[in-house]
Formats: sequence, C-alpha cells, structure tokens
Amino acid sequence: MSLKKLLKPFKLISIARRSGVVTVLYPYQKSLITTEFRGKISIDATKCMGCGACVNACPPNALTLSRRDDTIILNYFIGRCIFCGRCAEVCPVGAITVTHEFELASTSTRDLNESLVHRIERCSGCGGGLGATSRMLQYVILHSPASENYVHLCPDCRKKKLIQSLAMKMGARTEDYEG
Amino acid sequence: MSVEEILDIIREKLGGIAEDIRYVESAGIIVRVKPVNLREASHIVHDVLDAYFRTMMAVDERPINNTFAAYYVYGLDDKGINIIIETHADPYTPVLPSIADIVPAADWYELEAWDLLGIRFKDRKLYRFVLPDDWPEGLYPLRKDVDYTARPSPRITYKPPLQGPRLPVGPYHPALHEPEYFELFVEGERVVDVEYNGFHVHRGIEKLAESPRFTYQKVPFLAERICGICGFVHSVAYTLSVENAAKIEVPERAQYIRSIVLEVERLHSHLLWLGVACHLLGYDAGFMHSWRIREKVMVLAELLTGSRKTYGINLVGGVRKDINMDKITAIRNTLAWLRSEFAKLADLVTSVPQIVRRARGTGVLPRDEARKLSVVGPVARASGLDRDVRRDYPYCAYKDVSFRVPVYTEGDNLARLMVRVEEIFESMDIIDQLLDKLPGGSIMAEKIEVPEGLIGIGNVEAPRGEDIHVVITGRGRPYRWRVRAPTYQNIPALKVMLRDTPLADAPLTIASIDPCFSCTDRIVVIDLKTGKKEKLQTVSIPGGCGCEI
Ligand code: SF4
Ligand code: SF4
Repeated sequence: MSLKKLLKPFKLISIARRSGVVTVLYPYQKSLITTEFRGKISIDATKCMGCGACVNACPPNALTLSRRDDTIILNYFIGRCIFCGRCAEVCPVGAITVTHEFELASTSTRDLNESLVHRIERCSGCGGGLGATSRMLQYVILHSPASENYVHLCPDCRKKKLIQSLAMKMGARTEDYEG
Repeated sequence: MSVEEILDIIREKLGGIAEDIRYVESAGIIVRVKPVNLREASHIVHDVLDAYFRTMMAVDERPINNTFAAYYVYGLDDKGINIIIETHADPYTPVLPSIADIVPAADWYELEAWDLLGIRFKDRKLYRFVLPDDWPEGLYPLRKDVDYTARPSPRITYKPPLQGPRLPVGPYHPALHEPEYFELFVEGERVVDVEYNGFHVHRGIEKLAESPRFTYQKVPFLAERICGICGFVHSVAYTLSVENAAKIEVPERAQYIRSIVLEVERLHSHLLWLGVACHLLGYDAGFMHSWRIREKVMVLAELLTGSRKTYGINLVGGVRKDINMDKITAIRNTLAWLRSEFAKLADLVTSVPQIVRRARGTGVLPRDEARKLSVVGPVARASGLDRDVRRDYPYCAYKDVSFRVPVYTEGDNLARLMVRVEEIFESMDIIDQLLDKLPGGSIMAEKIEVPEGLIGIGNVEAPRGEDIHVVITGRGRPYRWRVRAPTYQNIPALKVMLRDTPLADAPLTIASIDPCFSCTDRIVVIDLKTGKKEKLQTVSIPGGCGCEI
C-alpha cells in the first residue's frame, strides 16, 4: 500500500506519454476555431439601408451613424467591437453577417475602420433633405404599400398634401392653392 | 418554513423598531428602520437570526424621495430567503451609524458608500478606498447629479517616497485582471500583519450602466466584462435580478442553457485555478496537464456560445444561442473524456508530496472567523460553512438537479483545493443531468417589459463563490445596479489566513481564495525587527495566471 502511494507521482509519466503533444503550430497548422466562432462582422453594402437599428443595439458603440451634408455614414470601428453579433440579430434586412475572421491586428487605426456612405433622398415636393435613404423608403413601401403616396415627401409637404386632399374632398378647387 | 412564518418571527423580533415590514418576492423581506435603530436591527438579524451578510447597496434616492438610501442584504441560507434592512439618510449631510463592529463583513461596503456616494458612517475611520488617490475631495461619482462623463481634474496628493533598499520586481500590469497590493508586515520569516490596498482599476461600471449610453439589453455585455474568468456569472446575475424585479417569464429551455454554460464556466475556472496552484508550488507538470484538460473545455464553450470567454449569449428574458443535437453529442463526448482524464490528474495532484505537504495546515481560516466575515464559495466550504447558492437560493435550472456540496472543516489550503477538485466532478454530473432533462421550446421570453421603481436580487454561485447583484429598475435602464463579486467578500479573510504564518506560504494562501485579480500580485514586505517601516523590501509573488511579476 505505502509503496503504491509512494509510486503514485510517477503516474505522471504514463499520463504524459499517452497525451503526447497537444499544441498546434499556429498559424501554420490547422485553424484554432470552431464553426460557431464569432469574429468580425461584415456589412453588405448592397443591402444596408442606413437605418441605424444596429447602432442602437451595439453595446460598446462600435457602430456609429453620422450625417454629413447629403449623406448618412455608417461607421464600423473594429477596435471597439466585442464580436457579440447583436447587430446581425437586429438588422431588419439581414445586411450584417458575423464572419470567422479574428486576425485583425494592425499598425494603423485606419485599417480598423470601415464606413458605408448613403445618400439622403430629396423631397419630391420641395426638394429639401428627407432624412432617409432611398433604400429606407423602399423598405417602408414594401412593408406598407399604402405609404407609397407620401414617403417621398418631407413632413411639411406631407402636411400640405393632406390638407390639400382634404380640402379637395370638401369641394375646393385646385386653383385656390396655386399662385 | 414558509415566508409567513419567517415574517412572524421578524415581526416579533424587529416589530418594535421597524417602520415597515414588507415581503417583496423578487428580493426578500424588507424591513425599514430609522438610522438610529440600524445597529440594533443589524445585531438582531446578523447575530440573533444568524443570517449571513450578503451585500449592501447604497443609493442616491434624492430624485425619488429626497434621501440617500442604504439596503443591507442578509441571507437566511437554510431557508433561502433574504432579509433586507432598509434605511434612509438625510439628503444634505447623509450620516449613518457604522455597523462594521457588529457585522465585520460590512466594513468595505461602508468605505465604498462613503467614497462613491458621500454617506458618512459614524464612529469609524473613513478613508479613500475605491477611488484613486488623485480623485478630488467632495465629488461623489455615484450621486445622480454627477454626470457619467465628468472628468474632474486630479487633486495633488503627496505620498512620502519609499526609503531604504528596494528590489522592484516586474511590471504592474493593470490590463490583466485586477491588480492588487498587499503589505505584509514580517518579523524575519513570519508574517505578523497584513494590509490590503486594492481597487487599482475601479472602472465605474455601475455608474456607466446608469448612463443614457446603456439600455437593459446592453448591460449584460458590460456585466460580462466585470471578470475575465467568470464573466457569464455576472451577466446571469444581472439578468436574473432584472427578470425577478419585472417578473419576466424566462422559458425553461433558456434557464437550462444558462445553467449548462455556467457549469462549463466553473469547469474551466477550477481547472485554471488548479493549474495555477500547482505552478505556485513548483509542480509545473500539474499546471501543464491541468491546462491541457482545460483547453477542451474552452473549445466546448466556444462551440456552445460562439466565444471561448465572454460568451455574450445572455439577454434579459433568455439566451441568444440554442443547443442542438450535435452540440449535445459534443458535450457528452467532452465530458466522457474529461471525466477519465481529470480523475487521473486529480489522483496525481492530491498525492504529490510537494503539493500535499505545502497545502496541508497552511493558510488556515477557522470556522468562526469565516462566519464573522460571511465568506463565500470554496473558501466558506473549506472552513465548514455549508453554503452554496445553487442549493440555498435556487436559480436557473438548479432546482431540477441533484448534486453534492463538498464541505471540509480543516479550513486550510488543502481543504480549499479538495473542495474545488470535488466540485469539478459535481459540475460534470450536473451538466449530464441537465442534458437528460433539457426541455424543448423557445429560448427567449415573449414579453419583456421592465416597469420603473422595482427592486430585484439575482444571485449566482460563481466558481469563486456567491455573486450577488441588486437592481432598482429605472426608465430604459437600471436606476441603480449594485454588483458584489465573490472575491470582495473573501479578501478580508486573507488577513486571518496570512497572519502568523511563514512568508513562504503567502503566495499559495493568497491564490487559495482564487482571487479575481490574479495576474499581478504586488507584495511589500516590511521588516518589523528593524522597527522601521521605511525599510522596505519588495518580493515577487507569482500571480494567479502564471505570470510572474
Ligand atoms: S441595421 Fe442593417 S440596414 Fe440598418 S444600418 Fe445597420 S446594417 Fe444597415
Ligand atoms: S458585433 Fe457587437 S460590438 Fe461588434 S458591431 Fe456588432 S453589435 Fe457592435
């Protein structure tokens, strides 16, 4: 018994022999990740409509939305991203996919920024800025077809149009509103 | 014993001094007392009713009821119910009586409330504790009138430079876990006293969660970043507290998945600790093999959640990632492999003389000291306190599984090691049972609405012990979110463990509570024989993660 106990520590030899070498020669050998791994995200520029749903859900503000002149800019800063994939979950058009990419180190922060620029639509009534991109409008029309008549108008022109159509119903002539 | 019966007892014992006694399902029995009666109430709850001190939450409630409030949470472990003593202090000069002499575990909480909210505690020494030394006087960051973006200019403090021969060893690495700083006062080779100086990387997470930048659904990701090793524990504790407060019905399947992932996390954490303990004792082979086994657990965690650590699958109302048949098979295979491999390793580690002889009888924490400090987790269980949140205050799916809670009475480093070794086996059993019973259905609650002004408590048995979060709900985000990590409760016990022991045992003893700040221990040794505190030597203590400083 006591000899057995004494010899116990030597079991390490058999454990070590059986397990062999377990480390891999990364990056020369196989990849270290599983199928479920969440890496950096990729935003499909052909689908994104600049609605900002992902920006609202992103916990560390890696995604930001800014407006400059006639454009809405969606910026993705990988340096802040925690690779949670919440953005992909909430995007209404499925523009975001979570990739397996994780080797993201860079010597320049410029490499860690990706932006997507959307043009802002103009009001078909007065020509002012509408605050929405054309894809956003298409999305609204797709989901509520009745909106097609007024989505291309700014709120002011919309009000005008509503009053106009109400007045027309009540018998006013169009000339009253012109000139 | 039913809630009614406990209420009767409390009415009988505290009825004379309580302004109001009410039962809130999401938190416990709330007893409101005037500050003058706080000490008496604390004495009755802590000593007469024999409740453990769990946490204290101080809140700036001036926008609600023009007071500063403090909620002292005690737990009747054997009945699984909390008793909360609520008291309100004046909004202009908030002062409360100190209870640190009655409830020693409350010491830190009072210092923290003083630092962050400016609540003064009478008849005790108050000093800068959580905030950095150069934070200005009189600015209390957790008050609601301090904006979370406030960046005050630092005050200039003068600290006399250290004198005498010094041997600075290694980097001070704030990026890896929490750095801490012990001062060991020694006489020759014996430690005679210990001073602790922590919170070097206090991040203001509680304040951040109250800021407009955050929402209920963003906080789980923040909570998960409180700890790099057992982060999921914090995100579950947070979501539980909000769900309890708002009575959100979380689907069974989500509860099971949470429990499974929590146990996977415990496996990796205990294996990590075991490896580090071996390393500290110079048994690097044990370290290597423990981490070899742990690697499989990490890969499993990634398969289940999408990430090796900071899993990010938790939201208020449920989880984001389901488990399918393939994953169940993967879990079963990993567990089968782990069982046989770990059995061999455990057998080896617990028989190697260089571990057993160094761990037996060192760093002893006697039962009564452990009780006084209300310590938690393996530290409590190794000192004869039979407490485990999974059994005492069941949450997630733990009510549906049976498991053993290992308890040792020796209170030494070996006992703490044995508790963890046995818990690894128990965790594997728990996962198996959960998989057997895994119910179907959805993984996300249908309705998630959080009304304002409710209080909720969420507790989770982390690998290091009980982790408890208290939330007061607000509009769109918590009004107040109080986090109490297990190490917070356990560090004060180190004073007892280290006192009057050989200096050589200090590294293992400090590591034996499995502190969360592992990577960087800085220890200053002060030789009392020379009678001069200035005569300093700094020694290197290898930290928890195997990085030497
Ligand atoms: S949610 Fe989708 S569509 Fe909207 S801005 Fe983000 S990526 Fe583009
Ligand atoms: S993965 Fe998470 S952190 Fe990264 S951009 Fe998406 S939501 Fe933000």
